[in-house]
Amino acid sequence: MSAAPPLAVALESIAACFEGVIPSSICSCSANGTPNVTSLSIVNLIDSRHVGLSYQFFNKTRENILQNPFVQVLVISPETVRQYRLDLRYERTETAGAVFDRVKTRLDAIASQTGMSRVFNLRGVDIFEVLDCRPMNAKFSGEELPRVDLLPQIEEFTARLAACGSLESLISVSLDALSALFGYDHSFLMVPDEDGRRLFTLGSRGFGESGVGSEAWIGEGILGVAAQRREVVRTSSLSREVLYSSAVRSSVERRGEDSLLEREISLPGLPQVESQLAVPLVVQDRLLGILCLQSAAAGRFLSGDERVVRIAARQMAASMALLERAESGVLHDASQPPPAPQPAAASTIRHYQSDDSIFIDDAYLIKGIAGRIFWKLLQSYARSGRVDFSNKELRLDASLQLPDFKDNLEARLILLRRRLQEHCDFIGLTPAGRGHFRLDVQRHLTLEEQ
Amino acid sequence: MSSGQQASIDDELKAFLEGPVSVLVGTRDSRLVPEITRAWGPRVFDRQRVSLCVPLATSGKTLDNLESNGEIAVTFSLPTNYRTIQLKGRLSETAEPAETDLAAVERHRDGFATVNEARGQSRQRIEAFWQAEIETSDVLVKILFVPEQIFDQTPGPGAGRRI
Repeated sequence: MSAAPPLAVALESIAACFEGVIPSSICSCSANGTPNVTSLSIVNLIDSRHVGLSYQFFNKTRENILQNPFVQVLVISPETVRQYRLDLRYERTETAGAVFDRVKTRLDAIASQTGMSRVFNLRGVDIFEVLDCRPMNAKFSGEELPRVDLLPQIEEFTARLAACGSLESLISVSLDALSALFGYDHSFLMVPDEDGRRLFTLGSRGFGESGVGSEAWIGEGILGVAAQRREVVRTSSLSREVLYSSAVRSSVERRGEDSLLEREISLPGLPQVESQLAVPLVVQDRLLGILCLQSAAAGRFLSGDERVVRIAARQMAASMALLERAESGVLHDASQPPPAPQPAAASTIRHYQSDDSIFIDDAYLIKGIAGRIFWKLLQSYARSGRVDFSNKELRLDASLQLPDFKDNLEARLILLRRRLQEHCDFIGLTPAGRGHFRLDVQRHLTLEEQ
Repeated sequence: MSSGQQASIDDELKAFLEGPVSVLVGTRDSRLVPEITRAWGPRVFDRQRVSLCVPLATSGKTLDNLESNGEIAVTFSLPTNYRTIQLKGRLSETAEPAETDLAAVERHRDGFATVNEARGQSRQRIEAFWQAEIETSDVLVKILFVPEQIFDQTPGPGAGRRI
């Protein structure tokens, strides 16, 4: 095959046009010569000569391209608001493979978030050859791509991570570094619970409330779908996607097909998220967590950002796995408990067996496994004044019924520690060397089992 | 091919088409290769004819296509709720815009900027958007056409329903 002449404007030079920040338009033409114009939520850049369009509903555009493969697409640069015409020729439809999976994960994630997973169904990705790409007004040429060398920042990021000796410092250092080195100011990290059904937030940066302990179901919503499929989901204009979904939702309702609709779910984080980048933390196909970056600005995270954050997330996941291995190798050496501090005031702590929830003076603190662990510690403290504990003894304690999921204990302890820091100023959990921690109690406690 | 019929545009639809919508014109050449251009200042006359203005600088091929075969499809979409209507029909004529046409273009651009401002886009950015279209020439050409079919193109499983 002879090499095709270069495009007037290289697709890579207008890469931001393919991020779905501003909708595109497509004109097709039937075999008998009637044109048809419609809008497209996103044009996916496949390579330097190909783009992909999602095929969800059989519509006029679809009918036309099967009769006449020539179409034209108009895209708009979100940076310069300049418009470009792409002359395309339909080549094939992909229904499996990397491109299909990427488009499908993104579509499914947003559909799940907006309660439309039974309406939005990706049937395929139509692949088009790009015959020409040119500015709408002949005066423009391609856009200057800002070349930013991020290697020094990436190196610094990995150096800071390498210095972390615990999961807690790893989370805090990495979220700080993402902000300081790359300007990703709003981030949070969620980890899966023991049975792999939910994610809970273990650390965050840049939000009014830390949100530590907030949860999401795996498989549901943008974060849940990204976690379940271990795929990155990047959104550039979320309010527009939600608006688009609402239009479809109304049209489904008008057709009396309400049974297809599910509830919309709220997204954790910023109240007005426009851009979001959700990157699963995966080691050897095991999901260790999900890193989520948010911004109130549309088009904040472009493909270059995705690449950087993929590297950061891989590094974080590998560090988490290493720390988990190092920690489980440490043997517990039992130390004598120091005398309990003199309590100054009194509080009542209540434990509900039904869900292991803990209330301190009638205020909810935590539930589930972290609640069970906390209750165990408090009982031991009340019985013998004991304040020093090790992760290892908790793992071996059959009464806690910890699932066989060794990395999660520390995550639960971090969650418990953070919740105590935020909601209780007289009980603390302080790390005391690798795999050990201390319970600090500053009040007289009355324990009540319900 | 055209059906040779005329579609009727009621008052509600006329108000929508003349509102702050995004207007895209589709045509095709003799080889059935499509061409899109953006239009401004849509106006509806007598329920049966629609006029639009397109920048000459961006619409050379569109005007050639209309000259040679007259087939035209125009999509009107409101950025705030994605309500979308497509008109398909045939060219009546192209002409130099009159004062009233240019006033409609100004009104349309202003309304378009206003609805996009409400969605967080600066007026300056929207103005840069249409200014770029007339950067090399500010000449506008009026297209007058007769819609023969009207479609509800609002996204979703029902998109494409004929009205």
